[in-house]
Amino acid sequence: MPRISHLLSSLSSALGPASARLEFKWMKQAAEQSDKGTSLVEMVERRLCGEPLQYIIGTQPFGSLELLVRPPTLIPRPETEDWTLRLAELVDPSPDRPISLLDMCTGSGCIPLLLCHTWRPGSVNAYGVDISADAIKLARDNAERCGIHVPTVTYGHSSSSFNTFKPLLGNIRDASFIHSLKLKPPFNVITSNPPYITRREFKDLPPSVRDYEDHRALLGDPDISEDELSSHLDKGLTFYRIIARLIANQGILADDGIVALEIGSTQANDVGRIMQREGRLNRIDVWKDPWDKDRVVLARR
Amino acid sequence: MGSPESKHLMKQLSETEPLWNAWQEWTKTNELLRETETLLNDPDPSMRSMASEEHADLQSQISDMVVNKFPSLVVPPSKTTHLSAIMELKAGVGGSESALFLSELLRMYIRLATLYRWKTNTIASNQTENGGIKDAIVEFVGERAYDTLRFESGVHRVQRVPATEANGRVHTSTVAAVVLPMPEDTGSETSDDLFTMDEIRIEVMRARGAGGQHVNKTESAVRLTHIPSGITVSMQDERSQHQNRRRAFQVLRARLMDRKLSQEVVERRDVRRNLVRSADRSEKIRTYNYAQDRVTDHRLGLSVKNLESILEGDSLQDLLDALAKKHQDDLLQEELEMT
Repeated sequence: MPRISHLLSSLSSALGPASARLEFKWMKQAAEQSDKGTSLVEMVERRLCGEPLQYIIGTQPFGSLELLVRPPTLIPRPETEDWTLRLAELVDPSPDRPISLLDMCTGSGCIPLLLCHTWRPGSVNAYGVDISADAIKLARDNAERCGIHVPTVTYGHSSSSFNTFKPLLGNIRDASFIHSLKLKPPFNVITSNPPYITRREFKDLPPSVRDYEDHRALLGDPDISEDELSSHLDKGLTFYRIIARLIANQGILADDGIVALEIGSTQANDVGRIMQREGRLNRIDVWKDPWDKDRVVLARR
Repeated sequence: MGSPESKHLMKQLSETEPLWNAWQEWTKTNELLRETETLLNDPDPSMRSMASEEHADLQSQISDMVVNKFPSLVVPPSKTTHLSAIMELKAGVGGSESALFLSELLRMYIRLATLYRWKTNTIASNQTENGGIKDAIVEFVGERAYDTLRFESGVHRVQRVPATEANGRVHTSTVAAVVLPMPEDTGSETSDDLFTMDEIRIEVMRARGAGGQHVNKTESAVRLTHIPSGITVSMQDERSQHQNRRRAFQVLRARLMDRKLSQEVVERRDVRRNLVRSADRSEKIRTYNYAQDRVTDHRLGLSVKNLESILEGDSLQDLLDALAKKHQDDLLQEELEMT
C-alpha cells in the first residue's frame, strides 16, 4: 500500500501544494465517513487519474445544501451557487402569492433546489427539465435528500404549505415538450444554465471536465458540423436561441416574469441581444460572478 | 418567544438576582441573631448553651458575608456570560513538535467542552503529515464558554523529549492561543453594531480562467478585509465558497467583538487613571513539563502534579476556576482603588 506521504506528494505535483493539501484533507474526511468503504488510497489514485474531486467524494456543497453528484451529470459550480443566491434575494416570493418556476437543463437540480430551500415554505412550485435520464434521477434523489417535496401530479399553480420541485425528462429543443410534459405556463421565473462552451474551447478544456462530465451539458452548439467549426456559428449560443423562441412563441413567461440565464464570460452581449430580438424582452441586466466575469443575463419585458 | 423588551427585563432581573438574594439572606440572618440574643440570658442552662452555640454560628455567617460575599457583589456581573467562544491556536517555536503539541491541546479543550456540555466545531485546521496541526480555529458553543475560556489566551509552553528526537534531549516548544467572544448568528452578511457591509472587502482567491462550465476544480478560498481596522480573515477549509464566506464572517465578527471588549476595558481603566495590567497575548501563561509530570500556571504561580489529569480536562477545570476567582479578585481590587 502506498504511504500517505507518497500519495500527498503525487497529488502535490498534479495540483500544486496548496490545493493538494486541501483536497487530501477533504478526501480523508470523505473516506472516514464513506459508507461504501471507499479507501483514501483509492480516492487519491482516482484523483491522480484526473477524475473530478466532486465525483470521488460524491457530494458538493451548494449554498446551504449538500447535493449528491454522480458522473456524468454536470457538477454544480460556485459561480452558479453565487448567482442563485442573488436571485433568491431578488425575487423572494411570498406564500400569499406563490409563483411557478421553470429550470431548463436542470442537471443535478441545484438551481431550483436551492431556491426552494431558501424561499419561504409554500411560495414556489418549481419544475426542472433535462434531456438526460441520469440527471433527472439525480435531481429527484437530491430533492429527497434536501427534503423538498416532489409532487406526483403536475399542477399549474397549486398552493400548499411547502415548496415543490418536479424533475421531468424532456427535450427543450422540441417546443412540444411543454404540452407533452403537461407543464402549465406561464412561469414567473425561468432559469437555465444551458451548455455554452464552443467547439474550439472544448478541445482545450481541462480533462477533469472534458473526459468526465456530460458533453450534452457543456457543448453550446451540439449539431455544428466540422466545416462550420471556425465560422461565426460556433459561438455556443444555440440554447439561448431556443429559450428566446420558447419565450416569444410559446408564452411561457408571465408578463411580470424574469429570466435568469447563466452564460460564458464572453457571451453577455450576444445573449442580451438574442433575448431582446428573439425573445422580445427589453430589459436586460448582466451580473458578474465573484471572479469579476460576466456570468448571468437577466431579462424582463 | 417573548418580545425584545421582556427579554431585556428578564436579563436585568436575572442580573440583579444575586444582589436581592444576598440582601434577603443578610436581613434574615440578622433577625435570627437578634432572636438568639434574647435567649442568651434564658433561665434554662441547656437553652442558654444551645443559644450561645447558635449565636456564634450566626456571627460567623455574618462575618463571612461581610468579608467574602458583599465584596464580590461590588464587582458588576459579567456582561459576557451568554457568549460562546472561538479559539484560534497557532504553532509557535518548535516546528513539528509544536504542531504535535497543538493537536494535544486541541484534544484537551474538546474534552473540557464535553465536561461543560458545550458543542464544539472545528472551523479550520491545517494538519501536518505526522499527525500534528499547524493552526486551528474551533468554536465552543454554550453558556459561559467565552467567560471560562478567555483566560486561555496566551502562550502555552511544552517541555519534553519530542517523539521525533533521537538523542533524548528535552525541547521547549510553544503554541499561541487566542480566545475570542462569539456573538450569536455570526455568519450572516448584514451590517450590525460591529461593522457595516461597505466596510468589508470580499475577495475570492486565485483566478479561475474562464470559470463556469469550463472549470470544475474546487477554488473555494475567500478573504475578508475589514477596511477601517485592516483586520483580514482568510478561509479555505470548506469545499464551498458560500460556507467559507459564512465562517470568515463568523471569525471576523469574533475578532471585532474582541477588539470592542478590550477597548471598553482600556477606556474604563483610563477613566480611573489606573495602571493597566498587562493582558498581553504574547505572554507565557502556562508550562506543561512532561519530565517532571507537572503543569505550572504562571499567572496563578501554581504548579499542579499529574499532567495527564490536566490534558484529560478534569484538573484543567480546577485551574480555570482558580483563574476566574483571581480575575474576580483583580476586578474587586480595581473597584476599591477607584473609590
